[in-house]
Parts: sequence; C-alpha cells; structure tokens
Amino acid sequence: MGKYTTVKIAGPAGFGIKTSGQLLSEILLAHGQQLIDYSEYPSLVRGGHNTYQVTFSSRQVFSVFQQVDIFFSISPGHYQSHLSEFNSSSVIFYDEDKPVKSSKSTYISLPLRKLSEAIGSQNFRNTICLGVACFCLNLDPEIAKKIISHKFALTEKENLAAFDIGYGFAQQNCSNSRLIHESYIINHKSVLKLYDGNEAYGWGFLAAGGNFFAAYPMTPASGALHFLAQKQQSHHIQVHHPEDEIAAASMVAGAAFAGARVATGTSGGGFALMTETVSFAGVANLPIVFYLVSRPGPATGLPTWTAQGDLLFAVNSGHGEFPIIVLAPGSQQETFEFSALSLNLAAKFNLPVIVISDKTVGESGASIADLSGKKVKQIISSKPIPGTPSHEYLANSYEHDDQGYSIEDSATVKKMVEKRLALIPKILKTLPKANFYGTPDAKKLIVTWGSPVGAILQALEGQTDYAVLQIRSVWPIDPDIKKFFAFTKDITVIENNATSQLTSLLKSQFDFNPSKIILKYDGRPFFPEEIRQQLGINHKS
Amino acid sequence: MNLKSNVIPTWCPGCNDYLLMSGIDQALSQLDIKKENIVLVFDIGCIGNMADFFSTYGIHTLHGRCLPTALGVKLHNPKLTVIAIGGDGGIYGEGLNHLIATARGNYDIKVLVANNQLYSLTTGQTSPTTPKGSKTKSTPLGSVSVPVDAVALVKTANADVMAKSIDGRQPKEIIDSIKEAVSTPGFALLDFRQVCVTFGKQLNS
Repeated sequence: MGKYTTVKIAGPAGFGIKTSGQLLSEILLAHGQQLIDYSEYPSLVRGGHNTYQVTFSSRQVFSVFQQVDIFFSISPGHYQSHLSEFNSSSVIFYDEDKPVKSSKSTYISLPLRKLSEAIGSQNFRNTICLGVACFCLNLDPEIAKKIISHKFALTEKENLAAFDIGYGFAQQNCSNSRLIHESYIINHKSVLKLYDGNEAYGWGFLAAGGNFFAAYPMTPASGALHFLAQKQQSHHIQVHHPEDEIAAASMVAGAAFAGARVATGTSGGGFALMTETVSFAGVANLPIVFYLVSRPGPATGLPTWTAQGDLLFAVNSGHGEFPIIVLAPGSQQETFEFSALSLNLAAKFNLPVIVISDKTVGESGASIADLSGKKVKQIISSKPIPGTPSHEYLANSYEHDDQGYSIEDSATVKKMVEKRLALIPKILKTLPKANFYGTPDAKKLIVTWGSPVGAILQALEGQTDYAVLQIRSVWPIDPDIKKFFAFTKDITVIENNATSQLTSLLKSQFDFNPSKIILKYDGRPFFPEEIRQQLGINHKS
Repeated sequence: MNLKSNVIPTWCPGCNDYLLMSGIDQALSQLDIKKENIVLVFDIGCIGNMADFFSTYGIHTLHGRCLPTALGVKLHNPKLTVIAIGGDGGIYGEGLNHLIATARGNYDIKVLVANNQLYSLTTGQTSPTTPKGSKTKSTPLGSVSVPVDAVALVKTANADVMAKSIDGRQPKEIIDSIKEAVSTPGFALLDFRQVCVTFGKQLNS
C-alpha cells in the first residue's frame, strides 16, 4: 500500500452504494484523512451497476486512482467488469456461490446475503461492507458507529448491527489483509468536510449574496438545484423550478432586472435552450450566471457520465457579438470560489457569466475546509432597481441607445456595438489568472482546463520535468498566457473531449502548436495512472 | 403622472394598438400607482414596440418570453405592479407553455394580449388564433389548425384565475378591464380582440 489508498464499492442501484461510500469518506475525514471520491451510475433508479470509489491519504489528494486497494461487490456479479483495476496488492471481497481462484490478487468470500439473514433484511449489505472496510483500514469502530448513528435516524439499530457483523467477520477472516495506516489523526471535530462540486457551487452562491436561483432538473447539474432549494428558508433565498430551461433563464433575467443576484444551472442540453437568454443578457446588460455542468453529448448523450465537450459551445453561446465571461473551475474548491466570483463579475460588468464544470467535479466529493459560514465581499450592480423613483429605464433586447430605447441609425448602432466590446480589456484585468504548477525550469509543459487538472497533478507528483498550465478563465483569454508557450516546444494538451477544443481556442488567439494531445471521450474522467502511461512516466505511486 | 416617453409611436394609422396603449396609460394613471413601482414587460411584435413609448421601468424581452421574465421581476419584488404585454404570436404561440404555467401558479401577473389573429410585424403569417382555413403568407393553401381559445384554455389550467376576452376597439372596456385586473390580486389574462388594419383583410371571414 502506497501513500494513497483506494476503496471501491460496486453493486446494483438501490443498495445504498453511494450512501455507504460517503459514510466511509466521512469516517476517513474524522481520522484526519484527505480524499476525493467518484461515482459511476447508469441512468436508472433500480438495478444496473453502480460504483463509488474514494482515494484517501494523509496528504492532499487531487484525483481518485483507477487501481483499487480494497473492492466490495455488494451483490454477485459486480466485480468482474473491474479486473483491470486490480493488482497484486488488491483485496477483493465478493459474494459468489463458488469461490474465486486468482493468482493475481487476494479474493475473500464475504457472504453478504447469508450474513444479512441475522438482520432479517438484505438492505444493509452496504453497512456490512462498511464494517469490513473499517477493520481492514484500521479505523476506529466507535467513531464509525457514531457517524452511522448520526446518518440513520430510522434504521439506526439495523445499521449498527450490520456494521458489527461486518467488523466481526473481518476480525475473524481478514487479519492478513489489514492495512496499517500510520498517520491517522483522530479528530472529533473534523476540520475538513466532504463537498461535491454542486454543493461547493451552492455555498459560493450563498457566500456572495446570491438570492434567486431558478433551474430545470438536468443531470449532472441538479445537485446545485437540490442543495439551494434546501437552503431557501435558512438563507432567505428564492429557488424556483419552472416549466422548462427557457423559463428558468428568462425568470432569472427578470429577477436580475428587479435587482436580485441570480443564477441558473443546467447541463449541455438545457443550456442549448438557454442560449437565447445569454444573448439577451448580453445586449440588455443583465447580470446572470449560468452554471453549466457538462455531460457527454450530442443530444441526450450519456446523462450520468462526464465530458468536457461544451467548451466552444459555452464560449460561443448566444447569437450576435457581445462580451461574455466563461470561468472553468478545476476542483470543488475552485467551484466555490468561481461561483462567488461569477456573481460579482456579472454585477460589475452587467453581463452573462458562465461557470463551466462537468460531472467529474460537479458530482465528485472532495475534502475541503468548511464552506458553510463563508462570506465573500459583494460587488453590487450599478443598474437602477425598479421601485427607485426617477431612474426608470428600459432593458431592451433590441439594439438601443443609452436610455434603452430602440435605435436603428448607423452611428448609434456602431457606437453601442463598440461600447459593449470595449469592456473586454477591462474584463481581462479582473479575471482569475491561469494556475501554473511547477518551475520555469521544467522542460515540458502540460496545458489543460477544468477537471483533468486533478488527475494530471496526481500523476505528476514527484516529477520535476513537467510544468502544468491550468487555464481557468477560458473566455476571454488572457493575452499574457502566451508567455507560457514560449519557454518550451514540448507542449501537451490534455482534455476530456474528442476534438481538443482548448487547442482550437488557443490556436484562434495565439501561435499555439502543441506537440502532443491527450484526449479521452468515453464518458469517464482521466485517472492518474492513464496520464502517467500516456506521458511515458514509470508506473509507480 | 406622465407614463409616456417622447418616442413617437410607429404603428400603422388606425391600428388598435394605439387604443391599448392609451388604455394602459389611463388605467394606471387612474389607479394612482407610483410610476417607479410599475414594470411593463413586453413581448416581440407590433404590440411589443409599445416598450419604447412608455417611460416606466420596462423590459422588452425575447419573443415568447415576456411571462417568465415578468414572473422573475414579480417574485423578487412582490410590491411591484407587473404587467406583461404581448401579441397572440408570442403569448399563445412561442410562449404558450409559459401562459399555462403562469396561470397554474396564479402568480400576480397581468397579461395583456393584443390578439389580432396574425403575425403582423413579420408581414402577415398565420398565428395561433388565425381562423381555420385562412390563406396567409405562410399558409397560401389555407391554415390547418383550429384557433386557440385562450380564455377557455387558461380557465382549464386554473379555474380560479381571471381570464376575459375584450373588444379591443372599445376604449372604455379596455380601461375598465385593465383597472379591474390590476386591482385584483392574482393572475389575469385580458385578451383584446383586434383587427390588423394592414394584413387583416386576408383572414377568412
């Protein structure tokens, strides 16, 4: 076992795969660990094949690993599709009718169906696995049980019994597979908390005074809607779920006009319907934030999987020519920051701001410092608010003069187009700079945006040959970025799409000629092992 | 109280839209609502061009979207008097689902529809309220569908809301209906029956 440990649970939907996985993550947080989690699930409610995996360490974790140290198959038949993730140190718990023979990894029969008979229900197999995991990972069972009790009010008794059954089974059968982690720090008041990107987005919205959110459900963005809907009373905000995405976007446009700090959230298909409002906000100068959490397209695509296929769509969204801002967080922490920042930028410049994320960051959890009480200084829009006497004006979707009245004469049209575009240099001065990791002495440069940066940083741990440039403000592009392209010819672009949209974007602005492009477009995120392999770095972590 | 702007209306001579504009102006003036608390939210079309002729807070939205936009204004600040103004194309066609959703919620939005049974700003194509069989620029062989009965449709969506059809050529009816709608809490649809003086002749009669 290395510095990082990866635990994975797999089984049919409806067996509490994610619930028990997140409980394990919370127990790990209480032991002073840092972590990233990742779930895979098909677009159905019962059955199928769901997984939850978590990679943890006593140091910062940037990405889940593909190779698994401990694996649980919660029902028969759910480990077979993961054989490539197992190695010589992997321990696989399975519940098959016949014993599994393998010379490659350690397989341990965990008779979950039989063990569940003592509880009188098959619904607690996940918590039995949790008991086994806590023994194997040498986690304090009392801390674990406290967290379990807190989680299950109605089924506390059954879950605690299931945990004990699992823990007891492991005491008897798994002492050889016990992983000794030396650096646990028991901390009863955990400093770090588990947030997925959608929750981090919601906390950022609240931190910067967001008070009106309207959205139509769409995976993988719905988490932000659910999170904020729960906060309506405690944080005095309005959350609405109207008849479609067009209405959601139009509604926040109206609320923005009335002085609210607004956002809407969706994925690619919903954003396609909202693009008319992007354009409207661009000409009517309405401060609106669009939280775009991508999944693979085209069309309905792969609803519960991940992709970065909407970069150019976001940058070019909205008909006509006008400035927009597109921010791309690469982590849950950055999602929080950019969520808050996007409200302020929208208010400062009175224009649409898109925060583009994806399922990888949006639905994966990360251990980060408590976000719940944070406040970010608010920039307030200079637009007059209805109710204020003598400041009446028209917000107009037509080309208009400074008072908002429609115009068609050549001179005013030209003036207004130029007035809008003149904002771009001012915008550029305020946007987050690219993150540069590594030293200027590095011989090779990796250029990326958004979620892959986690797997890249994880893959390059201990490497000094490489530097990484993570472009965070993807539109408008900072002209100074070109200085990073000057110091080496060995440039590799890495992104989670099929056509390298970042390369196209950079080529449109700079003399940019990457020597290598690494792409992934199968609905799955990058894992550090894959990046090391593709870069030709020795496989060892 | 002066609610008008200095922009000269651009409608055709004899257009019923002048009467609707005058009705809105007089109704709001008579109700003595503070100018700064009025928000007029316009759809696209001939009637939407009224946006330029008022000097209150206003939004000239996208085609079909005046209702959800108006709703966003009202939800954020319920003290405002929010009136959505559009035509049969925007409210009964492009934005029909928004009309049903807004009526279902009985939100305090007043919806004024200049229903001239045609798309007129785009020079006379069939609209959701064009009589069946009408030959228009987009239906030279005659329109296929029966027209939308907006009042019945809204009443079906929510029997509790106000929905009325009014003769759009009758100044007093226009003023009285707007005054009644604005002073009654909740959703209201006022469907003003109009005739397009330029393109209306082609309709089946």
